[in-house]
Amino acid sequence: MAGNFWQSSHHQQWILDKQDLFRDRQHDLAKLTEEEYQKVFNFFASIIQVLGEQLKLRQQVIATATVYFKRFYARNSLKCIDPLLLAPTCVFLASKVEEFGVISNSRLITTCQTVIKNKFSYAYGQQEFPYRTNHILECEFYLLENLDCCLIVYQPYRPLLLFVQDIHTQIQDDQILTYAWRIVNDSLRTDVSLLYPPYQIAISALHIACVMLGKENLKPWFAELNVDMDKIQEIVRTIINLYEMWKSYDEKKEIQGLLGKIPKPSPAPQR
Amino acid sequence: MADNFQNKTMASVMMDYEFKMKTQNERSKVEDLFDFEGCKVGRGTYGHVYKARRKDGSDTKDYALKQIEGTGLSMSACREIALLRELKHSNVINLIRVFLSHTDRKVWLLFDYAEHDLWHIIKFHRAAKANKKSVMVPKGMVKSLLYQILDGIHYLHSNWVLHRDLKPANILVMGEGPERGRVKIADMGFARLFNAPLKPLADLDPVVVTFWYRAPELLLGARHYTKAIDIWAIGCIFAELLTSEPIFHCRQEDIKTSNPYHHDQLDRIFNVMGFPQEKDWEDIRKMPEHATLVKDFKRSNYQNCSLSKYMDRHKIKPDSKAFSLLQRLLLMDPNRRITSEQAMQDPYFSEDPLPTQDVFAGCPIPYPKREFLTDDDQEDKSDTKARQNQQQQQPNTQQNQVQANNHDHGANNAKRMRMAGPNQGNNTGGGGQQEFHQQQQMMFGGQQQGAGNQQQGNFQQRF
Repeated sequence: MAGNFWQSSHHQQWILDKQDLFRDRQHDLAKLTEEEYQKVFNFFASIIQVLGEQLKLRQQVIATATVYFKRFYARNSLKCIDPLLLAPTCVFLASKVEEFGVISNSRLITTCQTVIKNKFSYAYGQQEFPYRTNHILECEFYLLENLDCCLIVYQPYRPLLLFVQDIHTQIQDDQILTYAWRIVNDSLRTDVSLLYPPYQIAISALHIACVMLGKENLKPWFAELNVDMDKIQEIVRTIINLYEMWKSYDEKKEIQGLLGKIPKPSPAPQR
Repeated sequence: MADNFQNKTMASVMMDYEFKMKTQNERSKVEDLFDFEGCKVGRGTYGHVYKARRKDGSDTKDYALKQIEGTGLSMSACREIALLRELKHSNVINLIRVFLSHTDRKVWLLFDYAEHDLWHIIKFHRAAKANKKSVMVPKGMVKSLLYQILDGIHYLHSNWVLHRDLKPANILVMGEGPERGRVKIADMGFARLFNAPLKPLADLDPVVVTFWYRAPELLLGARHYTKAIDIWAIGCIFAELLTSEPIFHCRQEDIKTSNPYHHDQLDRIFNVMGFPQEKDWEDIRKMPEHATLVKDFKRSNYQNCSLSKYMDRHKIKPDSKAFSLLQRLLLMDPNRRITSEQAMQDPYFSEDPLPTQDVFAGCPIPYPKREFLTDDDQEDKSDTKARQNQQQQQPNTQQNQVQANNHDHGANNAKRMRMAGPNQGNNTGGGGQQEFHQQQQMMFGGQQQGAGNQQQGNFQQRF
């Protein structure tokens, strides 16, 4: 459904209101500050990214998985499903929807085990990835229900390519796309994919890239866009804030403590 | 420090108990909301389809409940849900709701119920033809059907969705009700997005499309599916509507081959269309199986074959607008085949009779309703028929009987007549159909006058 964003479930159901989003997070924000909450999501976005790369998935699939993850917790507390289980489940579902071809159950679990052990030992120490295929499959049904079966996610990559093509008539610089593409990837660590349409995120990423590269001469191009510049500014600010946060944040040191603080699922009462 | 580190062997709690209970209580079960026991109307590789009614009586509409084959979310189930969730067009089947049954891990899809499909409609006409009976339908019915198929496919194509498995059984037609006589394109299980596919589409699953409706470029090993492939299938369906015979009928061998090259099917296409000239399809030499084609086929064997001769034998005049459109849909070169949009602009559709929203144009519907299948019916699917069922994804077992008959295509009529036997004996269907048919004929005759009758006369011969 690369067709019509305006008639999509993404546009109609999944561009959320900032206040609503904030309100629905209150349960988790009783345990974590907003910044800590963001750091937790930053961490799980990394897990999804690394899992996806290990499974040789395209960035589009990884981005979709990340959006599934964020959508689930936009409506639910971190307590409901262990994010360490939901993250690979999102990857699994997205790979099917985005027609990558089915990842075999055993390959998914093995990859989770290796990734957690080799790349995220700073967070999980010697603990092994605790889940098996049956957990992922059970979790997948809950995920699909909570997504209200909205599986097609529009990403900023395609509009970004179109904008860069358009700019190309005025300025020849391959760096712009490289920078903007990375900024879009980074934007997955923020809430912007829940709050703004993908084309606005693409424009914002392009805007930041131009500023970074000192492309002042593109100002008229931005001015001519028929787009709500206030929204673009909000997105730019959110992404810049992320970069600011990264400057003073050492995930390797802090994440164990943060994971310890997140609300955990409660088991069935003992009879 | 985190709980995680206190005990390495402790199994993590994956899901919150309260959350689990809450969602379980909120989740409706399909069997609590709908009555459908004993109401199976379809069976295929995709799963089972039931005719269902709401238990609470909040409406008395019929629904179609499709239980997807297997358990859990297969890739094709995922795609079907993902795409249908987004698509909205009057000629594309409407997904109302998805039920996930956690206990047996079954996936159910709820749709509006379509009483008819082109597979059954064409079968009905074939049977009538074999029995030298006529079927009374409005003269513009084929045109209306084709127009709505094109409309639906145009919508899919403009949304970057390919159907990829178009065939009569997947073209549904609504029965009595607010959407009477409306075409609904269904079975999107294999539908593909084709805007920048992440993998060559041909890699994803081995050959799945019924061979009869497969475009020649697929049979010659084309790696990417295109809009033109759907258009070819529509051309095949159009021809079949005009003649009641599958235009590229071919004996079907074991279809579970990963090799797209299919000698007999190509032979059949050339027997109807003639062997393609270099100038008609320049890129044919670039096809992966071109060398095999050159080795296996001799142009001289097809010298007297052409689409116009084939259609003329079936009483479609080469100078008719219908034929001219058919020829544009069935061009061998995929690059020259027309688009759905161009097809909808064809003069055929501006010629009287104009296409109607209700393909039955308000006239009585001569086709029988779907019959319920019993589980015993499945035993009928022995040996080769089971295979066909798999290939064809036919809506029910009755079709297999006609399929068997199709094998005898080209044989004498006496053989074809036999088809009526098992059908009648099978259940109330066969006999009922005849009765129904005659009754309709009478009613229809009473309603229409003069010129109308003559037009119907023409139609009967053709359909």
